[in-house]
Amino acid sequence: MIEGLRARQVGYPAAVFLVLATIGILKLFPGLADSSVALLLLLSVFLSAWIWESGPGALAAVVATLGFNFFFIPPVHTFTVEDPRNVVALGVFLISGLLIGRLSATGRERLRLVEAERSDLAHLTRLSQAFLSDTNRESLLGVAASRLQDALGAVHVSIFLADGTGQLSRATATSDESVRHDLAELAYRQGNSAAFPSERGGTDIYLPIPVGVQRAGVLVARGLRSSERMAEGCAVLLGLALERERFLRMARAAEETKTSDQMKSTLLAALAHDLKTPVTAARGAIENWAAEAGPSEKSRLALEQVQALTRRIGELMEVVKLDSGIARPQREIVGAAEIVEAAVARFGEALGNHSLFVDAGPTSALVEVDPGQITEALGHGLENAAAYSPPGAEIRISVAAAGDSVFLRVADRGGGVPAADREHAFERFVRLPPAQSVPGTGLGLSIARSLVEMNGGSLKLSEAPGGGALFEIRLLRAGEAGQTPSSMPLPGDFSRP
Amino acid sequence: MSRILVVDDEAGIRKVVRDGLERAGHEVETAADGQEALSFLEEKVFDLVVTDLTMPRKGGLELVREIRRVSAVPILVLTVRHEEREKVRLLDAGADDYVTKPFGVEELLARVRALLRRRDPGHAPPAQLSWANVVVDLEARTVEKAGKPVHLTPTEFALLAKLTEKPGAVWTHRQLLAAVWGTTAGVTNDTLRVHMGSLRRKLEDDPNRPRFVRTEPWVGYRFIPEE
Repeated sequence: MIEGLRARQVGYPAAVFLVLATIGILKLFPGLADSSVALLLLLSVFLSAWIWESGPGALAAVVATLGFNFFFIPPVHTFTVEDPRNVVALGVFLISGLLIGRLSATGRERLRLVEAERSDLAHLTRLSQAFLSDTNRESLLGVAASRLQDALGAVHVSIFLADGTGQLSRATATSDESVRHDLAELAYRQGNSAAFPSERGGTDIYLPIPVGVQRAGVLVARGLRSSERMAEGCAVLLGLALERERFLRMARAAEETKTSDQMKSTLLAALAHDLKTPVTAARGAIENWAAEAGPSEKSRLALEQVQALTRRIGELMEVVKLDSGIARPQREIVGAAEIVEAAVARFGEALGNHSLFVDAGPTSALVEVDPGQITEALGHGLENAAAYSPPGAEIRISVAAAGDSVFLRVADRGGGVPAADREHAFERFVRLPPAQSVPGTGLGLSIARSLVEMNGGSLKLSEAPGGGALFEIRLLRAGEAGQTPSSMPLPGDFSRP
Repeated sequence: MSRILVVDDEAGIRKVVRDGLERAGHEVETAADGQEALSFLEEKVFDLVVTDLTMPRKGGLELVREIRRVSAVPILVLTVRHEEREKVRLLDAGADDYVTKPFGVEELLARVRALLRRRDPGHAPPAQLSWANVVVDLEARTVEKAGKPVHLTPTEFALLAKLTEKPGAVWTHRQLLAAVWGTTAGVTNDTLRVHMGSLRRKLEDDPNRPRFVRTEPWVGYRFIPEE
């Protein structure tokens, strides 16, 4: 009711009516002193200004002054003033009326603003609670438009969202009322809001939905009753809710990937177990048989074949692991020379017929890699060198640091790889002509390169100084070179080599 | 002759390991899982336990932990593939050594011999050790190689003494660092590698292919007095 009366259109006549009614009532009590009449009239001015605010308040002051003069100051029923003192009194009355009206209206306006802000705040709080309880995009969008409509007191609310390519489309709306797509597009592209009076009453507003320094889309409200600031607050809140929902979705996806990776790992471990168990049993049976019956050409051949089978299974398991994407490197900082030592310890036995030279140099260069994977890669280099160089020939494994790189190299004295074939050699199942007489699958180099690249390094083949092939792993150097072992505070004699 | 318990859920592996061990003159009992192994261990005294790592019911790691609660019997674990973290966990839990499937029977027998040697009754830690052309006197702290005295630094000597304490067993990096330096803080595996390298240069015939001081990649070191 009061809300309706307060509207501007009724304010002026209502204020005039209130003052005139007051005059009418005062005329019923002719015995009243002029000062009492003046005070009661000022009260009517105050009330008019409180209810209908400044414009009607000022009009009430003027009407009250004229009415006071016409009905109460002698000679009554004329606008003439006999006593000059009454002219002054009338002037003071008018100024007082205007001042009281102004003060009352200002107070009322401030109160109204505070109330509006408080209600906005309450709406925003409710909205944020509602948004936070939604953990899924569909349900969030499903109710967001109507919640925003309530909060903004709007006739219609639409939410436009951009897809991955920046294409804007209407994601949800409270009704199928038309909105201006060009303005939505503009708000999204430029990040500026547009607001203008609506033919539906209130304001039409096009607001970008901020997400960090970017924009998720555009919030459109038609016939907005609340302030633009409130609408901006809602847009920010919506941006936060969308962002939160996106993070939740990412976290869920990561969790799912992890579970599926764990499942793959378990399956692969079971597969490895199932493949290796019979091979182990077969190998053991041959060894036991050979030990009882005495070694023979037959048992030697059987053992050789089982060992070849073992290596093939190992390579295939590695390829499956790489292809399934679960061979994620678990990187740690290790000494490059440690990798060389590990590779020699693990694969050295396979180089039985070659003379092996290890040149770990004085380097204490560190690398941040998965040590097992790089050892494996270097091992393939050693196996390659052994397979493709004549028995007894020298194989040199070395580590060297230069600038920000660390090089792990295996050099052999075989026939080498022609420059044109070097990249080709890294393809799966490719076996170059001189190697085709040696048993193998052609997977080793391809596995080695995948393992090295997974750890941020590179692997290439080139020519070794003495002819032969050079297998070279290049890794990024990690940490400070100052951490040499000899600088450690340790007991004992470290000056000797 | 020693009494050995073999634990594996695969009948094929049980048979092969049993045949190999019996050929070497040992008395063998077999169990199909950790649970069964524990009930065997309650009834009889064994000189060595050889166990698979992955088994239904009670797995190898759990079995190692439960055995260690009541017994110091040497334990050899059969693992699959080079899972270093798994190996370190096993050793820290109290296993003495492991072999990786697919392993050879001869390799397994060599490990078993090394582990059984220090279980021999009356086998108090000897003051003198010798292998190949090397003689070590732990009390006098002297080392000879091919009849000539070799100078070892205190650190090198401490490492050698620790390694030879349990011939054949693997010592993890952490165990060695803790034993020789008393701390693992501020000392890296790389430091250990440098000292092992100089120890090998002094004691091995071919330091590039060490026969006695062996590297267990990313796990630790072991001393093998064989050959």
